[in-house]
Amino acid sequence: MDTSSPSAFVNGALLRRYIGQKVRTVIQVIGSDTGSVVGKSTDDLQIVVRGPSTTPPLTTYLEVIGIAESDNSIRAETWTNFGNTFDPQNYNELCKLASGEFKHLFI
Amino acid sequence: MQTASVTPDAISSVLSNPSFDSSSDRPEIVVQVVDLKPIGNRYTFGANDGKTKVKAMFTASLTPEIISGKIQNLCLIRLIDFTVNDISSKSTKYFLVTKCEAVGSVLDSEINLESKSQEEEEATTEPKRQKLEHSPVSDVKMDVSTGITLKPKQEFVSKSASQIMTEQRGNAAPAARMSMTRRVHPLVSLNPYQGNWTIKVRVTNKGVMRNYKNARGEGCVFNVELTDEEGTQIQATMFNDAARKFYDRFQLGKVYYISRGTLKLANKQFKTIQNDYEMTLNDNSEVEEASSEEMFIPETKFNFIPIEELGMYVNQKELIDLIGVVQSVSPTMSIRRRTDNEMIPKRDITLADESKKTVVVSLWNDLATGIGQELLDMADKSPVIAIKSLKVGDFQGVSLSTISRSNVVINPESPEAKKLKSWFDSEGKEVSMSSIGSGMSPLSKNGSRSMYTDRVLLSHITSNPSLGEEKPVFLSTRAYISFIKPDQTMWYQACKTCNKKVTEALDSGYWCEGCQKKYEECSLRYIMAVKVTDSSGETWISSFNDEAEKILGCSADELNKLRSEEGEVNEYQTKLKEATWSCHAFRVSVTQNEYNGEKRQRVTVKGVAPVDFAAETRLLLQDISNKTNNKASQLLF
Repeated sequence: MDTSSPSAFVNGALLRRYIGQKVRTVIQVIGSDTGSVVGKSTDDLQIVVRGPSTTPPLTTYLEVIGIAESDNSIRAETWTNFGNTFDPQNYNELCKLASGEFKHLFI
Repeated sequence: MQTASVTPDAISSVLSNPSFDSSSDRPEIVVQVVDLKPIGNRYTFGANDGKTKVKAMFTASLTPEIISGKIQNLCLIRLIDFTVNDISSKSTKYFLVTKCEAVGSVLDSEINLESKSQEEEEATTEPKRQKLEHSPVSDVKMDVSTGITLKPKQEFVSKSASQIMTEQRGNAAPAARMSMTRRVHPLVSLNPYQGNWTIKVRVTNKGVMRNYKNARGEGCVFNVELTDEEGTQIQATMFNDAARKFYDRFQLGKVYYISRGTLKLANKQFKTIQNDYEMTLNDNSEVEEASSEEMFIPETKFNFIPIEELGMYVNQKELIDLIGVVQSVSPTMSIRRRTDNEMIPKRDITLADESKKTVVVSLWNDLATGIGQELLDMADKSPVIAIKSLKVGDFQGVSLSTISRSNVVINPESPEAKKLKSWFDSEGKEVSMSSIGSGMSPLSKNGSRSMYTDRVLLSHITSNPSLGEEKPVFLSTRAYISFIKPDQTMWYQACKTCNKKVTEALDSGYWCEGCQKKYEECSLRYIMAVKVTDSSGETWISSFNDEAEKILGCSADELNKLRSEEGEVNEYQTKLKEATWSCHAFRVSVTQNEYNGEKRQRVTVKGVAPVDFAAETRLLLQDISNKTNNKASQLLF
């Protein structure tokens, strides 16, 4: 496993803390355009994902790993379809724990 | 041996030394309780030290001890904690007793260290505290100003109990034979400290005679449930000689006078009757049928729950009452009781009600053989039956079971029964109904609740060898199947109708003991030992048919076919391998079994469900938050 560039688990609110750094998050896809996807973060904030010009078919939930560009956008390097059933609350709690008291376990 | 008595001059010395601030400075004194009287919820009495009597009161906290008979009129008490207070309006003092203990045995009469009058004793079979109403108080006047009672000197004649009896009753026949003069005590007043009582009760339930064998030998035992006119119930047990003596005498529904039984605190483990005490009758006990008298027993009060609402009672302690139309009655089955390996009869009946749902009720023991047989005979007439005190279990979703105090009434004369019958006759007969249990899939409502309630790690089970000693403990856990032994006896030959084990008949076919029938074929049902593992440890568990099928993904019959197949690839081994290292959520019961004299823990699978990741994650998050909030809980990873 390549741990050379770890990505921090973020939700909408945590994204701003990692601007310029590698992050990962799961969003619920609201809409997509050529080269970008608009989604709802697990804490109900809007996030825009800029990615490759060809947008493959997307499922309801999408994981994005990339560099945080601003407090509400990510430049994606990888994205993965996470299917249609996903528990956003659980993921949200994970993000909070991973960047809070258990940060040392992650980065 | 010293017999307990009052501390001489105790009262006068206390009264003359009011300077003691707290009663802890005072030496402990023994006084006699006289003129015990209730005032509101507290009791007043006279504290007598043989010479002096002073007004006294017990605090309300001691009232239970008086009611239970620990403190009685004329008994001796050691005052451990008391204060001397003033009666505000008068200049008298009184003792307020907050803590005391009864000393020695209850005396016959007021202690008199000088010869003064004796209260005459009513030597009947009444409990002493009944004297509250009867004791002559008139000659004891409290001299208010000095707090010292002066009694006129009278002739003191001591009488024996039999002398007093003869005086009172002349040559009348002993009261035991004369039911008219028999003094009957309410069941609620019985206690272990007072032996002279007679009760008048109806036998509302009679158990079967059971033979037992334990370390001390063998014997037989049975018990009866007794109800008196006030509706109080108590269980009476008889062993060996007494059991044989009274078994035929006690008949269900008849009324008896009973005396000379002993009372003790009820064993909570086996208690089904609401009474702190239970009674034992021995050879000396008296049981006499009250043949010529009526006794009013309050009608059984039912509180019927519609079948469709049974879901919320599953696995709860609360017992429910049910009324329904009989749809079908099964033959008697014999089930082996885990605790003592005894075989007990069971019969399943299916009931339906206006909620258009059906439910299976298991009748046990006498209900299975007695009323159960009656129902079988009249099943085609679709009788209405009402059952009181049913336990609600989760077998097949919802299942009802009778317990020893359950009461079954066929075609009761009640408005609910009439309504049910007319519904059934008009539409119920034809309408299609569904079983209440089928609506409950393992992952819904009650099932899912039990996969996530009482969640533990395997180490919780293995580190506690006495878990499940008294009653089976139900837990849930998430674990991996780590090993299924390929060459174990994985299944048994089962009756296709009742699932009980069948034996091979000498000619072809199989004999089922429960159905009392021979069958051409049988089915195979799993009884599989499996090792499970989680991050904390591992343990063996046994799994029965339904759960094992879910784990292995095929029925025992199918697996048996694969096992005997020849070929390069042994499909049987493959199936086992596929099931190994699969993760499941288990509902298990932990019990204790005795094996060759040793106690062994036995873990049985009650339910199995696939891992629901979202639900498991929620559990983990909950645990993390509990841990970080410093609550005591296990961390599940």
